[in-house]
Amino acid sequence: MSAVAEERSGGLGLIRRRTRQRRAETFDRPRFLWIFTILMLVFLFVPVLVVILYSFNGQPSLVVMRGFSTQWYHEAITSGTWRGSLEVSIEIALVTMAACAVGGTLLAFGLDRANRHLARASESMLVLRLVSPETATAVASLLLFTQLGLTLSSETIVIAHIAVCLPFVAIVVRSRLALVNPELEDSAMDLGATRLRAIWLVVMPLLWPTLAAASMLCFVLSFDDFITSLFTSGVGTPPLPVRIYSMLRTGVTPVVNAIGVVMMLIAGGALIVALSMMRVGRSRSSLS
Amino acid sequence: MSSEAQASLQSVTKNFDGAIAVDDLSLEIMRGEFLSILGPSGCGKTTTLRMLGGFLIPDVGEIFLGGVNVTGVPPYRRDVNTVFQSYALFEHLDVADNVAFGLRRKRVGKPEIAKRVGEMLDLVGLRERARAKPAELSGGQQQRVALARALVNMPAVLLLDEPLGALDLKLRREMQIELKRIQREVGVTFVFVTHDQEEALTMSDRIAVMNHGKLQQVGRPAEIYEAPVNEFVAGFIGASNLLPGTVTGGHVALSGGVQMRLDGSRASAFRDGEEVVVSVRPEKLTITQPTPDTWVHVDGRIVDVVYLGAATNVTLEAGGDLHLLAIEFHASGRQQDRLAPGTEVAVSWDPEDALVLSNSRQVADDPPPQPKET
Repeated sequence: MSAVAEERSGGLGLIRRRTRQRRAETFDRPRFLWIFTILMLVFLFVPVLVVILYSFNGQPSLVVMRGFSTQWYHEAITSGTWRGSLEVSIEIALVTMAACAVGGTLLAFGLDRANRHLARASESMLVLRLVSPETATAVASLLLFTQLGLTLSSETIVIAHIAVCLPFVAIVVRSRLALVNPELEDSAMDLGATRLRAIWLVVMPLLWPTLAAASMLCFVLSFDDFITSLFTSGVGTPPLPVRIYSMLRTGVTPVVNAIGVVMMLIAGGALIVALSMMRVGRSRSSLS
Repeated sequence: MSSEAQASLQSVTKNFDGAIAVDDLSLEIMRGEFLSILGPSGCGKTTTLRMLGGFLIPDVGEIFLGGVNVTGVPPYRRDVNTVFQSYALFEHLDVADNVAFGLRRKRVGKPEIAKRVGEMLDLVGLRERARAKPAELSGGQQQRVALARALVNMPAVLLLDEPLGALDLKLRREMQIELKRIQREVGVTFVFVTHDQEEALTMSDRIAVMNHGKLQQVGRPAEIYEAPVNEFVAGFIGASNLLPGTVTGGHVALSGGVQMRLDGSRASAFRDGEEVVVSVRPEKLTITQPTPDTWVHVDGRIVDVVYLGAATNVTLEAGGDLHLLAIEFHASGRQQDRLAPGTEVAVSWDPEDALVLSNSRQVADDPPPQPKET
């Protein structure tokens, strides 16, 4: 790192540290607030810990813990039905993610470049889609698919998932795009790039971290989605959440705990990747 | 169009949502000259520049580059490059890649690119920072990268959109000299947009003054300063006392009953009863010194005195509503104590040093005539 950058970041760090100190000194804070933090964390993570604990249960019970074994993981991975569902879930999530990344980015550019009234109207509609109750939109998807005469399958699930996740990518990428200096694109065009080349060469490099993070979150949303999947799944192997739900009718075994842990690991991994990418994007944009 | 014109705008008009930004502007830019487009914010200077760059297409009129009509040609097919106000450096590329960007788009060979980028970085003194990212550079260095990135393409015309605006005063002065040196060295035609009249006066071969989308005057810095064609130019370039008056029988009657004699040729240029504006530069005003009878004499009171080191700015009030700004240069041994606020003094100026500007040439909505500080 150069001296200038070091000096700059050092200066910022110093300011931040000082404000934190001042805040700590100025206010006469109660000392017991950490108790609430602990309580909150316990409240949030006890269910998770229970699932993890029982996934190693030595006997086939969901309520009594005795002994330690990895048999449920073994069953989850070797059983054809569970593996099939896991694969379907991952497949659906990957296709949804890819489609949302491309579609959401295009939509974001559209919102950024369209005339202001049109863009504002479209954006409100996107937000509306984001906040509308999933049960309602899932039922609506089901009705639409049956009216169109489509067979419910992984494909219909993917279509419905894209509709759920696309607004998210579009809104996140658009908000990043709004921060990009329009003179960058002008400048690339001034130096001989057509508009599309200019966008690809100088705008997209700034969007990558945001887009990657948004895509990862799409993956998690789709992978974990139950409501929409339940209404739009039909023939073929159901995705994991639907499989777990249907298990409730036939009798739940502790394998569900192991499946749950596997799902958490996959979703958690994707989330960590997403968050770290967002951080990269933020630190980069704060420099510019 | 003259054969020497590198670029020319012919009767160009541009509207934005019905608001006129550039109004019937014609301007010729000569080969190798440093031309400044000067005007207050919102005067249409940046719009003019963006039309030259190809980012905006004029509603009416045509733009020529080297004799070729380029009115509708997009920026990437114009032999023009721009240094943007925000520099618009590509943050994800290092300095050398930023500078090489234009050459790469033109598919120039690798060894040629390396050579030209190296030369350009030498020219702006950034050879050692070739591998640095823009964010690691200071404002002045970023500015040089932006300049190098545009100039490496050796455009027919280099457009600069207030490139020094973000720099502090000292750095700005340095960059003014630096820019002028680089322009002389490479011989490229520069069109420099600025709202800073001092910057324009220091750097330019010619200045085009704009206001309200209209071209007010084009000329060498000295011409613009010494012989402004209207009240706006007189007020915008340097400080000037702009005094409204009426022509009556070979005199201009200023407010407060002050009369200024017009010599023969000037007297015949104006009708009797015509509204005019008299422009007197602050340095042409003399305070309490004995002056010839032919000069205009006014009794005034000192309102304010501002010491500026090499000179003192004196604000005066005469005849109630006549506000005057005078600059007294500190010649050795001259007594400055006599210039105290509240002191009654005699102010005078030579009518020869005053410009009489016809009111009809002035553009509507101009600021009221008052002494203007720079």
